[in-house]
Amino acid sequence: MIPAPIKYKFITPGVIFLILIALNGLVFLAIRFISGIGAVTNLDNATPWGLWIGVDVAAGVALAAGGFTSAALGHIMHREEYHSIVRPALLTAMLGYTFVAFAVFVDIGRFYFIWHPLIMWNGNSALFEVGICVMIYVTVLYIEFFPMVTEKFIGRVNFPQFLDFLNKPVDMILRYLDSRLSATMFIFIIAGVVLSTLHQSSLGTLMVIAGQKMHPLWQTPILPLLFLLSAISVGFPMVIFESLIASRSFKLKPEMKILSRLGRMIGPILGVYLAFKIGDIFIRETFKYIVIFDTAAWMFIVEMALMMIAFALFLSRKVTRSPLGLFIASSFVIAGVLINRMNNFIIAYNPFYNPVKYFPSFGEISVTIGCIALLVLVYRAIVMYFPVISQEKREIIRKI
Amino acid sequence: MKNLNRRDFFKSAALGVSLTVLGTSKAKGSDKMLSDDRLGILVDTDVCVGCRHCEWACRVAHNLPTPDLDNYSDNSVFKEYRRPDAGSLTVVNKFENEKNPLLPIHVKVQCMHCERPACVSACIVGALTKGDDGSVVWDDDKCIGCRYCMVACPFQIPTYDYDRSIDPHIRKCDLCTDRRKNDELPACVNICPNEALLFGKRDAVLAVAKTRVKRKSDVYVNHIYGEHEVGGTSWMYIARKSFDKLNMPHLAANPAPGISESIQHGIFAYFVPPVTLYALLGTIMWITKRRSGDDDELISDEEEKGKGGKL
Amino acid sequence: MNKIYFIIIPLVLVCCLLGSNPKLQTKNPKMEENMVLLQDKIKKKKMPENPYENMMQGLKCQSCHAGDYPNKNDPMLRACLRNSMLATFHFSPEGPDEVVIDAMSENYNGVAFSHKIHAQMSDMSTGCSGCHHYNTSGRLLSCLECHDSKRSREDITVPDLKAAYHRQCLTCHKQWFHENGCSTMCHTRKTSNSTGSVQSPPSVKGKTHPPLKEPMKMVWETNSETGKIVTFFHNEHNKIFNISCETCHKQDNCLKCHENKKHDDYSGTVKIKKSFENHHKACIDCHKGSSCQKCHRDSEREPFNHVQSSGWVLKSYHSQLSCAKCHGSQTPYKKLDRNCTSCHKNFITGNFEHGKAGLVLSENHKGMECISCHTGSDFSKTPECKTCHDDKSYPAQSPGKRGRK
Repeated sequence: MIPAPIKYKFITPGVIFLILIALNGLVFLAIRFISGIGAVTNLDNATPWGLWIGVDVAAGVALAAGGFTSAALGHIMHREEYHSIVRPALLTAMLGYTFVAFAVFVDIGRFYFIWHPLIMWNGNSALFEVGICVMIYVTVLYIEFFPMVTEKFIGRVNFPQFLDFLNKPVDMILRYLDSRLSATMFIFIIAGVVLSTLHQSSLGTLMVIAGQKMHPLWQTPILPLLFLLSAISVGFPMVIFESLIASRSFKLKPEMKILSRLGRMIGPILGVYLAFKIGDIFIRETFKYIVIFDTAAWMFIVEMALMMIAFALFLSRKVTRSPLGLFIASSFVIAGVLINRMNNFIIAYNPFYNPVKYFPSFGEISVTIGCIALLVLVYRAIVMYFPVISQEKREIIRKI
Repeated sequence: MKNLNRRDFFKSAALGVSLTVLGTSKAKGSDKMLSDDRLGILVDTDVCVGCRHCEWACRVAHNLPTPDLDNYSDNSVFKEYRRPDAGSLTVVNKFENEKNPLLPIHVKVQCMHCERPACVSACIVGALTKGDDGSVVWDDDKCIGCRYCMVACPFQIPTYDYDRSIDPHIRKCDLCTDRRKNDELPACVNICPNEALLFGKRDAVLAVAKTRVKRKSDVYVNHIYGEHEVGGTSWMYIARKSFDKLNMPHLAANPAPGISESIQHGIFAYFVPPVTLYALLGTIMWITKRRSGDDDELISDEEEKGKGGKL
Repeated sequence: MNKIYFIIIPLVLVCCLLGSNPKLQTKNPKMEENMVLLQDKIKKKKMPENPYENMMQGLKCQSCHAGDYPNKNDPMLRACLRNSMLATFHFSPEGPDEVVIDAMSENYNGVAFSHKIHAQMSDMSTGCSGCHHYNTSGRLLSCLECHDSKRSREDITVPDLKAAYHRQCLTCHKQWFHENGCSTMCHTRKTSNSTGSVQSPPSVKGKTHPPLKEPMKMVWETNSETGKIVTFFHNEHNKIFNISCETCHKQDNCLKCHENKKHDDYSGTVKIKKSFENHHKACIDCHKGSSCQKCHRDSEREPFNHVQSSGWVLKSYHSQLSCAKCHGSQTPYKKLDRNCTSCHKNFITGNFEHGKAGLVLSENHKGMECISCHTGSDFSKTPECKTCHDDKSYPAQSPGKRGRK
């Protein structure tokens, strides 16, 4: 089991479809940057945050949690058997956070001032904390990814003819960096986990300040804890989900041995999350809002149902042993967390004066889906170029 | 429903405060002592005649496009409820007075300039600041346009230029900071024919409000809106009708950013929790690595992978 | 008489001020002389013992001054009492026809205010003190004396001048702005060639209030379960019972009459919601202790009838009289007893021509005491002959000749 670039053709019908979706998104993105946010989105003064924050940023951050959970498992808990999932998870996290940062860049009105939080601090702001943590974490993720780059290039730096005098010095630099990084990587790995813990929870703190503008089903002071727990819960399912999709897409054998063991860990984690979530409902006596059965209540029911079904599925040995069972169970968790983030940032946000109920515009959805398509494409390109996904040696030899 | 929401919110707010063990509620920013000389403005909705001159003056003072003052006598704008937007920092709305339909109630809406502003607490770059004079002012040079202030504001006041790609503004009443630097009154206060907007030090203004409510107890409801709401606001209102019916949100007396800040400061109390977590994880990493019997495990592992990659 | 008040009051006030200051009292013996002189003057003019009682409408020093020793530099004034403190001894006809308000005319010409017509109307509501509030007796204070012309000021308990002016008008004329803007109704814009003198619109000059039309009878169908119908005879209250308009209409808002149905879509008349107490206040203030049925009936009430209301039939002579002749000038009228001598004090033995009662007494009876026949001084009852005579009975055998003399 050694990570290596995957040899496979890049263009497939699926990829073309993704490219089209991405292009559609880019068109609306262009409009947003030319004519302003109002031209593309359905946002207004009553609803300042919509799909881009709820899904691209909040759900994006949550779904990229695989990076830190697997790093914690593989490196900090030092469970060697999981090392093969760390790299794909790391790549997902790196791309996921890049996507998040890009979404923030798109959503904030003055995108050209995105660097302001670096020098203008407000320690009281949850958003500041999220911003700073994400900024540092993205950097850390890139550093963590760097060994894969050095692996690829050390000994084979090969610039075009007229720049070939650079080959040697660049190779030297790469080798130097590689050795330094190897010695200090643990610093970044721990930092990555700490930063993730912080901003995953602070993402929950974000909406606490909205106070009574937020539906009582979601507005709770333990939001940060719930966000952190749900992020941890969705980490492994995301890794499993990706791994299974990648194996299918590249026609590889799913690494069921690792994935099943990973799957068995998800049940208890989900259990903890659900315990807090349900406990919160009962302590604050908010269950009465569920029986109203309005949109918010139904969305809450959907969110909870998905998580509870997933919990039940992950407890079953049969499910964790079969690729399909794992895939379905993981999808449930991912959908549950995705809807949870959407609920928290979109459905729950209901200010007293809100003449037009927010529903994302076609442009917003296009941009979001386009970005996700782009993300998948870049992921595909990277795993085909850099040694990310571990494969059986036999296979590699055969492919070569 | 709304009411229930609120009660539950307070309940959970109390829970939150007690839950944030590390919070110690030492919210650095918001514990700043407020100046005794801070400003206040009283909106006497019973005196206001709805001439909307304040809207006009405000636009002029803030260089926003505005129609001629003579056009403001048109009564039809009151047909629908309006809110401040990117083109107007304040608007006046009309509400029916069931007791005497000939004396409708006019309510001006603008930034309340909270004593403990949620927007100031929320702003990622500190572009919103609470001045010693009580004003909450937005800084054009800092703002990144994230609109978190709009999410945070309990009164739904900050507005955003959705139609501008470059240099969009967060707009809200700034208590005419520029005019006051030149010893002028805020534009709306200055133009108000009836002095329905009473401007002065907050304490003095509040005293007047109390006197009026007491003296005309048959006219005013016994509630000075803004005296205690979200920890007090610079703008205060008195009216002859319950404020719930004047589209003013029903808010409790605890400062809007309160729980959020104490959670925030709980997580970040002098960086102790993050550093502790870091140390803890480092220890676990060290222990697990030793248990596997190889001190250089990680590095050799990486190297191994490297070899694999080079195959 | 009034002029003397104007001199005396300030003097008295000053003396009291100075006199109440212990330092001055001891240092300036001349003051005491002045005090004596003044008191003499007051005595000569037969002033009441406490001159303030009348002059200041029962105001105490403490009503306005918070401290024991107010002085010019620190008058220790309390917050304005406004309407609770009545002022001015004037009547509406005394006021000027028109007043030009131009103390703040920077951008506009002065405003012509039709004083007279407003004064007339104010009789039906708050009176002079509605506008000239916080004005103790004596000369009328100008608004400027209390209301600062600058909006940015120390004491914000009192509105500034601009607000004071506008509130006077706009409290009632709330709709004006929306109909016509500022420049049509009140403020004409200053132009470069205008002289600054105010041209009051001809519609205002010398205008008086048209005579009020008085309703005769008003019938309401109420929400009451029993006795739905309430009938009110406006003319009777006004004309017969001689109750002045202000007695009931003292709190009326101008808008009650002058509602503008044209521009606002409130249809019909002004319906002002009132509490049960306030709703009945107008009647109950006088008709205390009456049962509900006095007003609430199942059908319309008949007009006032002396027999039905009092049981006293007004015959011949009495029916000619005005109500006030018996009931006095004070309204509401008091119930009278039926003793003739209560009114007719001169109806004593030897002075009363019995012929007025329809019976010229015979010589035998002429000299008798009234109560000999009218036992118990009850003149409404016909006397019985049998109390004196065994063999006679009235009216078959009368003690005199029937018919008027």
